[in-house]
Amino acid sequence: MPEPQWHTVATTAELPAGGRKLVSIEGKSIGLFNVHGEIVAVLDVCPHELAPVCRGRVSGTTLPSAPGEYCWGREGEILACPWHGWEFDLTTGRCLVDEKLRLRRYPVEVVGDEVRVAL
Amino acid sequence: MAAQPFIVDSDIHNVVAGKSIQHRLAEPHRSRFASGNRGPGHLGYWNPNGVMRADTKLPDGRKIENQPETLVEHVLEPYGISYGILNPGGMGLGLCPDADYANALLAAENAAIAEEWLTVDRRLKGSILVNPNDPEAAAAEIHRWGDHPDFVQVLLPSGARMGYGQRYFNPIYAAACDHGLPVAIHPGTEGVGLSGAPTAAGYPSTYFEWHTDLAGSYLAHLVSLVAEGTFQRFPALRFILVEGGVSWLPPILWRLDKNWKALRLSTPWLERPPSETVCEHVFLTTQPIEEPPRREQLHQLLAMFPAERMLLFSSDFPHWDGDTPDFAARQLPEALRARVLGQSAAELYGLPGVVHA
Ligand code: FES
Repeated sequence: MPEPQWHTVATTAELPAGGRKLVSIEGKSIGLFNVHGEIVAVLDVCPHELAPVCRGRVSGTTLPSAPGEYCWGREGEILACPWHGWEFDLTTGRCLVDEKLRLRRYPVEVVGDEVRVAL
Repeated sequence: MAAQPFIVDSDIHNVVAGKSIQHRLAEPHRSRFASGNRGPGHLGYWNPNGVMRADTKLPDGRKIENQPETLVEHVLEPYGISYGILNPGGMGLGLCPDADYANALLAAENAAIAEEWLTVDRRLKGSILVNPNDPEAAAAEIHRWGDHPDFVQVLLPSGARMGYGQRYFNPIYAAACDHGLPVAIHPGTEGVGLSGAPTAAGYPSTYFEWHTDLAGSYLAHLVSLVAEGTFQRFPALRFILVEGGVSWLPPILWRLDKNWKALRLSTPWLERPPSETVCEHVFLTTQPIEEPPRREQLHQLLAMFPAERMLLFSSDFPHWDGDTPDFAARQLPEALRARVLGQSAAELYGLPGVVHA
């Protein structure tokens, strides 16, 4: 395995809390998200039908609850695919509806005001 | 490299601009439409992701589904689709209680499709939108467009007042057969306007429940068409169940045949096991294809009826539950792919195998 290469792809100013930026690294479309101050990088391909998942809605979601009750939480942590709406946990990459599926995530480091992604 | 498969997409939802409809309406319909009154309305079920896919906006702000050129460039060409059947949103207007207004809107939308879409690219094929609740007017609309080379089917909403086998609808089938056009139904209006409750158990609470139950509407229409003898009255009629699911079909065919053996006396026009008639006259579109835990379970299901003849690929672009051609192809057994992706549809709609835009 070749060593991952670090790529500087954004500045911290471009990714304020709740912010998002789509970048291209080595021909791959990758989404950067600032989730509660932590920047995460995920491949812009949905594991279901390969949609550009990073264009989807980022929001919270309804947490498990009793019938007829709604409990909203995890605001800013959930990415919903723009095609079929499957939800993904940006903090882990896990798909909320299928534990076998996850988003492909890449290591991120912030150096000064530069955001770097390892690919 | 494998040859590009020949693909026909039998369910694409283009959006016709309101202004294209409005200037084609006579008063007082034009003022009514301009005021924002657009027909039967809806029940307000909420899809949290939106019914339209969220990523169809182009960098210039246009939406892919709103212009014929963008639909060709961003859907047909990237996926190698040779023909796309347009099923515009106005298909359910006939559920508006005011038949005169509904008929005017449907006629205007058909004209807009003919003049602004079908003229742009021969790969786009139209559906004649008609009012099921005014069958004589529907038949007139079919005759108006029936010999147009680029209208390839008649389209009805599956939300309905009664089963589509009822003789009330006969003028529609007679007109469609006069022009050799298949008749298709499409879901989305169950419970809307003049239609009955969306399920046999009334009104569900959520979009999730309503949408999952749509297969029930299809089941009712199919059994109605069979039992009423619609295919005996109209031997040339071909009927397409668009977007109604696939997996429920084999068990209902078995049940039809079983009940027919005992109860044939009450429907003496059914001289053969009903499943045989269904398999000759009825077609289904793939999307939203069922995704069972193991793909071979889908393959087993597709072996339980003549899928190589009855099943047609559809994407449902740009709706939230669409399937791309490559995804659908991966779900299908190899032996079915060419038939389902395009050949069966080309035969059904009378489309030549090679197209020059
Ligand atoms: S492609 Fe993402 S949910 Fe289907």
